[in-house]
Amino acid sequence: MARPIESRRRTTVPGSRPQPPSKTRKTIGFVAGTAVIVACLLLVDARWENLSELPGNLGNYVSLMADGVLSNPLEDPETGYWQRAFELMLESLYMAWVGTMIGAVVSFPLGFLAAENISPRPVVLIVRQILNAIRAIPELIFAIAVMLPIFGFGPAAGALALGVGSVGTLGKLTAEVIEGIDRGPVEAARATGARQLQILRWGVVPQALPEVVAFWLYRFEINIRASAILGVLAAGGIGSLLSQLFAGTRQWDRIGITLVVIIVVTIVVDLISAAVRHRIISGGKQQLVEVAETSSIPAAS
Amino acid sequence: MIRFSNVSVTYPGGVHALRDIDLEIQDGSFVVVVGLSGAGKSTLVRAINGLVPLTSGSLEVNGRHVEQAGRRELRALRSEIGMIFQSFNLVKRTSVVNNVLMGRLHQTPTWRTLLGWYRPADRELAMQALERVEIVEKAYVRAANLSGGQQQRVSIARALAQEPKVMLADEPVASLDPPTANVVMRDLQRINRELGITTIVNLHFLDLARRYGDRIIGMREGEMVFDGTGEQADEKVFEDIYGRSLTADDVLDLPAQVGLADVVEQRTDGESARQDPS
Amino acid sequence: MSVQVASTAVGQVDRSAWPRKPRPRWSLWFGLVVVVAITVWSMISIEFTLAPLFTDLTRGAEILERFFDPNWEFAWRIRDAWMETLYIAVIAAVVGNGVALFLSMLASKITNPNTVVYQGFKTILSVVRSLPDIAYGLIFAAAVGNGALAGILALIMFNIGINAKLTSETIDAVDVGPLEAADAAGGSRIQRAWSAVVPQILPNYTSYSLYVFELNIRASVVIGIVGGGGIGQVIRVQLNQFQYENLGAVIFALFVVVFLLDRVSVWIRRRLV
Ligand SMILES: Nc1ncnc2c1ncn2[C@@H]1O[C@H](COP(=O)(O)OP(=O)(O)O)[C@@H](O)[C@H]1O
Ligand SMILES: [Mg+2]
Repeated sequence: MARPIESRRRTTVPGSRPQPPSKTRKTIGFVAGTAVIVACLLLVDARWENLSELPGNLGNYVSLMADGVLSNPLEDPETGYWQRAFELMLESLYMAWVGTMIGAVVSFPLGFLAAENISPRPVVLIVRQILNAIRAIPELIFAIAVMLPIFGFGPAAGALALGVGSVGTLGKLTAEVIEGIDRGPVEAARATGARQLQILRWGVVPQALPEVVAFWLYRFEINIRASAILGVLAAGGIGSLLSQLFAGTRQWDRIGITLVVIIVVTIVVDLISAAVRHRIISGGKQQLVEVAETSSIPAAS
Repeated sequence: MIRFSNVSVTYPGGVHALRDIDLEIQDGSFVVVVGLSGAGKSTLVRAINGLVPLTSGSLEVNGRHVEQAGRRELRALRSEIGMIFQSFNLVKRTSVVNNVLMGRLHQTPTWRTLLGWYRPADRELAMQALERVEIVEKAYVRAANLSGGQQQRVSIARALAQEPKVMLADEPVASLDPPTANVVMRDLQRINRELGITTIVNLHFLDLARRYGDRIIGMREGEMVFDGTGEQADEKVFEDIYGRSLTADDVLDLPAQVGLADVVEQRTDGESARQDPS
Repeated sequence: MSVQVASTAVGQVDRSAWPRKPRPRWSLWFGLVVVVAITVWSMISIEFTLAPLFTDLTRGAEILERFFDPNWEFAWRIRDAWMETLYIAVIAAVVGNGVALFLSMLASKITNPNTVVYQGFKTILSVVRSLPDIAYGLIFAAAVGNGALAGILALIMFNIGINAKLTSETIDAVDVGPLEAADAAGGSRIQRAWSAVVPQILPNYTSYSLYVFELNIRASVVIGIVGGGGIGQVIRVQLNQFQYENLGAVIFALFVVVFLLDRVSVWIRRRLV
């Protein structure tokens, strides 16, 4: 069996030096890539000369921000700055969380519909394209186009925009997880004469859920950042504060405090979320499988 | 010449891997180091090119003191010492010849490495090294697509491309099947004879050790417990080194006479069809 | 894979021949309760309600109607802004991904043996990653003025944050055997990184870089809104002037552009990796 494959692949006689592979394609790719980059650099209307001001300005801002961050937080007006930044960061977290939950609830069934091993082909194709379409649109656009006209300005509209935005990625990832599951339990469930919905519940969900839940958490981390973007449209949260601060007279001390709050809260939430994700992925599978098994006993008897 | 004087190595965990080793290895000799797993064979060999720092004592290689060498000097020293690993340590995703060219790193300026523009002379050396281990036809194949035995020969070529004075091999055949193991050992022996490269090989199969070693060194718990020729190393000696009676696992268990034809057959067909498990 | 690991850990009960009753999975139920509580609390805090969908649909309807009557001519008229967005995304991706490769080497213990230094770079990278792109947009617009340059700089930071973290984690997981071989051959640290590490991480790194480029088109729109030039700037102006017909055209066009680029990127990734 191995012989013919081997002799077809081998282009040279044993012991003799082979021809080096042609470099033409590599060279063409390299030249084309370089040309695109150079063209972009030449055509873009950027005021490169302003780069010289960058280090000085940034240094200046950093020292002004450090002033704000390092001054006594228990004195006015810093106390108020810290408080307000925390409140609005919390609001951003709420928006992100609600958005993630909306995304999770909506994307879960869509993930099943987009999984090739579960759904009929036409359904898969249609749902996939819908998910791709949603992924192509920034949350901000959802907010501008749909949420603000109906819901008005505010965090609820922001949460909804984040939710719709999350459906695309989460649905796609859910479908991929479902397509990667072990077929054994599904066939076992089918062999007992279970109906399609029962097969999904006992054969598919327990296998897929841990990874899917981990993706939800990951999306939450992304949504925290995205919620800041929505703030620019006065959808509330830390982004609103940031854009107000920059739109006005740029109180750099206050901006510094706000940035520190964003950095610290985001990193802490990321760490917690990452820890939970690892736990879910390593231990959770077994747990969820067990829950499914133990609670299936009364159902079966 | 390689000279260990009172060399001891203690690992951070407190394991005494080498205790008071005194050892001289003449230029051009073929030395096999045997001992149970954990006896300190790897540590002994890695001390020679400074991959493991000494805790005390001194170690002289080709007139240079390893324990005193700074980073730059150590790199110069290492470039004169080829090394072959049990797990081949090839970059699997790149071509065979690129792997062999890693043997020229020390002679190549950094900017050339970054651009991948090795000198033609270095490329020629790499091809010659591949010819010496009879695998030059695979020069532009990805290393991942070779069998274990072929990968080990590529790693020998990589060491040869260094034009080394000393060749170190840490259990080079432990991951290979018996016929391939013999091919690789024979390659090492041939290189030692033809090029006069001092060769130090760690093994734990006593039959291979006896077949290929001009000189055998026995290690047990960090100490040298035997130093003699292949003929002197009989079963009694090995039982002494291993501290127990011998078992079937201690020999490669190859029928005494293997025709060269069989080995060549193995080399060109059977092996190349196998895929690397990783 | 983890199923096997977990089941051997659970399976080591040998007290008696009878299986024990499964432990109550309180942690799971507890987790569920916590999740529900957080969700309810968050919804109350931001006064989340779907009611406007039923009561205020008409208020939105008028605007939506204008949206869905897009002024196509406008989308074409601003072609320069489209191209600018593309230039910004390409330049930022090239610079950002290049810098990210370098930083990720410094932020991995495999390529940077100095514990203090690599931990320091890891920390810097997580700080860089924690700031949203909009914050970078605002800061750089302040520092170098509104326009493409601010957009490029902000996107570079955004790209570094994403790619460097992913790449340094990939480096942490490479096979260290070839590195040892490079050391044994007398290579320097840079040579070792380039000849033994880069080939191993290249597929992942390429895939992250393309992913970052995909994100850039979307992100540059957002950054443009706060002063980063390109199509985002156009969107802001049209939004301020309540030109919903123009906005509709821009948004539909953007949708098509991103969708197509996404497909192209998926295609490239499949061919390269
Ligand atoms: N990097 C290390 N850190 C701590 N202990 C080590 C290390 N490498 C090897 N050892 C210990 O040193 C002893 C000798 O190891 P080694 O030289 O690898 O033996 P061998 O190659 O003969 O199997 C063993 O007990 C081993 O556990
Ligand atoms: Mg060893």
